[in-house]
Amino acid sequence: MNIEIVAFAILATIGIASAILLVLQKNPVYSALLLILHFMALAGLYLLLNAQFIAVLQILVYAGAIMVLFVFVIMLLNLQNEQALVDNFNIRKIVSFILGVVLFLQFAVFFLVKAKNDIDIKKSPDSIDAGSIQNIGEALFTTYLIPFEIASFLLLVAIIGSIFLAKRKIE
Amino acid sequence: MIPLSFYLILSAAFFSIGVIGVLTRRNAIIVFMCIEMMLNAVNLSFIAFASFFGDSSGQVFVFFVMAVAAAEVAIGLAIIIALFRNKLTINIDEINILKW
Amino acid sequence: MDKLGNILHSLNFFYPEIALTLTFFILLLVDLFFRKSKHLLPVLSLIGYVITGYFSFTTPNASGFLFSTGMANVGLYITDSFAFYFKLIILLSLIYTVLFSILSKEINESTENRGEYYALLASFGLGMFLLTSSTDLITIYLAFEMVSLSSYILAGFTRKVPRSAEASLKYIIFGAVASGVMIYGISILYGLTGTTNIYLINFYLANQNYNTLTLVIAGLMIIGGFGFKISMAPFHFWTPDVYEGAPITITAVLSVASKAAGFAILIRFLKVAFVDYAATNLQASLWAILPGFQWNDILAVLSVLTMTLGNLAALWQNNLKRMLAYSSIAHAGYMLSGFVILDNQGILAILIYFAIYLFMNLGAFFIVMLISDKLGSEDIDDYTGLGYKAPFLTVSLTIFLVSLTGIPPTAGFIAKLYLFAALVNTGWLWLALVGVVNSVISLYYYMRVVKNMFLRESISTYEQKIELGHVLISFSLLIPTLVFGVYFKPLIELAEKSIRIFGF
Repeated sequence: MNIEIVAFAILATIGIASAILLVLQKNPVYSALLLILHFMALAGLYLLLNAQFIAVLQILVYAGAIMVLFVFVIMLLNLQNEQALVDNFNIRKIVSFILGVVLFLQFAVFFLVKAKNDIDIKKSPDSIDAGSIQNIGEALFTTYLIPFEIASFLLLVAIIGSIFLAKRKIE
Repeated sequence: MIPLSFYLILSAAFFSIGVIGVLTRRNAIIVFMCIEMMLNAVNLSFIAFASFFGDSSGQVFVFFVMAVAAAEVAIGLAIIIALFRNKLTINIDEINILKW
Repeated sequence: MDKLGNILHSLNFFYPEIALTLTFFILLLVDLFFRKSKHLLPVLSLIGYVITGYFSFTTPNASGFLFSTGMANVGLYITDSFAFYFKLIILLSLIYTVLFSILSKEINESTENRGEYYALLASFGLGMFLLTSSTDLITIYLAFEMVSLSSYILAGFTRKVPRSAEASLKYIIFGAVASGVMIYGISILYGLTGTTNIYLINFYLANQNYNTLTLVIAGLMIIGGFGFKISMAPFHFWTPDVYEGAPITITAVLSVASKAAGFAILIRFLKVAFVDYAATNLQASLWAILPGFQWNDILAVLSVLTMTLGNLAALWQNNLKRMLAYSSIAHAGYMLSGFVILDNQGILAILIYFAIYLFMNLGAFFIVMLISDKLGSEDIDDYTGLGYKAPFLTVSLTIFLVSLTGIPPTAGFIAKLYLFAALVNTGWLWLALVGVVNSVISLYYYMRVVKNMFLRESISTYEQKIELGHVLISFSLLIPTLVFGVYFKPLIELAEKSIRIFGF
């Protein structure tokens, strides 16, 4: 058995399990921790796909920065537990659940059967190079310089906006 | 070797779980976590395609999606804090001055 | 051309966007040092927008792509006359929004944070400028998000009003889901073609065989994301709540400018990515769609759904802001019906409609703002008998509402005339009929306001002193609304010059 397949199976299982538990969990802190696990599994999958730089970023940005933000806000607001999802099952939840499952089945069938010939291509030999820091850095600072600048501007807007919205003094 | 469609189905699964979470959960913070999960599912499918094409533009796209996701979460959580100061709740069902 | 040279060359065509960026930074910095001064910030934003407008006029249309990606000579950005037209609309509505903000009680009462307000308005404008000209899914996505993020913050700007924070939360949840769906569609499209440039996508789609279903799903998800911006059904749920909860100046700019940007990118994306260059007959101005899927059928259904849902829901509203929100959904439906034709005649009708919609919709919001600042309410029942107490405002509001209905001799009639004529000319008679029936329905709820104002005895103790600024701004909106109803030739000529999208 191929080590790649084993790794994929383990990571996929962790990813799906943590995602489902996140949705079912009633305590937001546990949900946040499960989300970190989910992100770690994704980072592993990125490594399998030869995207080293993005895998590192995934850990740094998501597991490092975004999750700390989530945990901080949860602590700041000091929330009680929400009622467990299973306790109050009403029509709307069942409908949304069915909707989600249908959505997934539709994509699964579609990727497996309908579009199989279109998308099942051989992995390109260039893929190891394409994910390297040199290549991505070069693309970001030459070809995609303007999107890079737009993204930096976007982050500035987000900083200003979130400081403004969250600051304490309401005159 | 793992075929591309496996990655795509996995990404579709993550996306659908995220959608179910957004639709069923009422805690605004968890709703945001589920939205993050949806965006990550998209990233997985981008990386899978990019890696099979040997093309770096897909990975660059993921880089930007991450930046945007971070910005969106920062603003979303700030809005949640602002709302909590006003109403002391973040349950979407209790936030109903405006009709849903 | 080397990569650096290419970027430097492209910057020559990028002055309007640079001017907007500088406006943003200057506003932020000035706010740090001159907090006391009340009119400095709006005046500076106005100057910034005027300079942006000057550069938009003087910067020549690029003859090729800007920020070329080096592959097959395509790029990330384009300045064509189509984008120019929408940029004018966006700029005009930004200028009006700043003018409204100077007079708005709601904004001026939160004195301390006006720096952020005007700066975010500038970044909102910059996002829309970028969105109208983007030709690559990466720039489209980033510009889209810049518009969204700025508008989330602006919608929640009056933090101490609970409904404003609530509107903002609803907006960001819907918006984030919509952009998640859109980007999933983009990833599938990228997977099919291996590129993110919409011109290259078109090339690959035309020259290779793809599974139609894949393409349709990806296309629908992307259209859904853009549809969120133009509040197209079934992505319109956020509109009434956000429009009611946001400060009214922001509601006004959301209902015009961000819709304009959404339409611009929707039209550009569908026209560039899914039209068959080879088979398109430019003389007959008909676009041939790439084989596989007839986009106009699905667009027709969405358009009928949007206008009907908007109009029917508007019938039951008692809050005037909320009613105008539903009416703006209905107007998005009318404009979408022009797109169904998929030819230049329909696009021309949309462009004309937008210019007229700008004046009449902003006008209606302006008057509602002035009245509710004094009245403290947007409830239609509280407007009872106002016609005798504030004749100038109520008569102006009546004219704007008549124009929104589309009755001659107002400009709204010309807008609808061009739209429905284009539909009838191209054989979409049933869609034109649905549009006419919808306009008749809309007559009921617009005229209910007018009836309340003039045909009922007054109950409130309303008093209003008319200020010079109110009159001047009202007139600057009233005159186009009335003049374009009888003399509309220059508008048509401008729109005719602007229907060309780069490459067609």
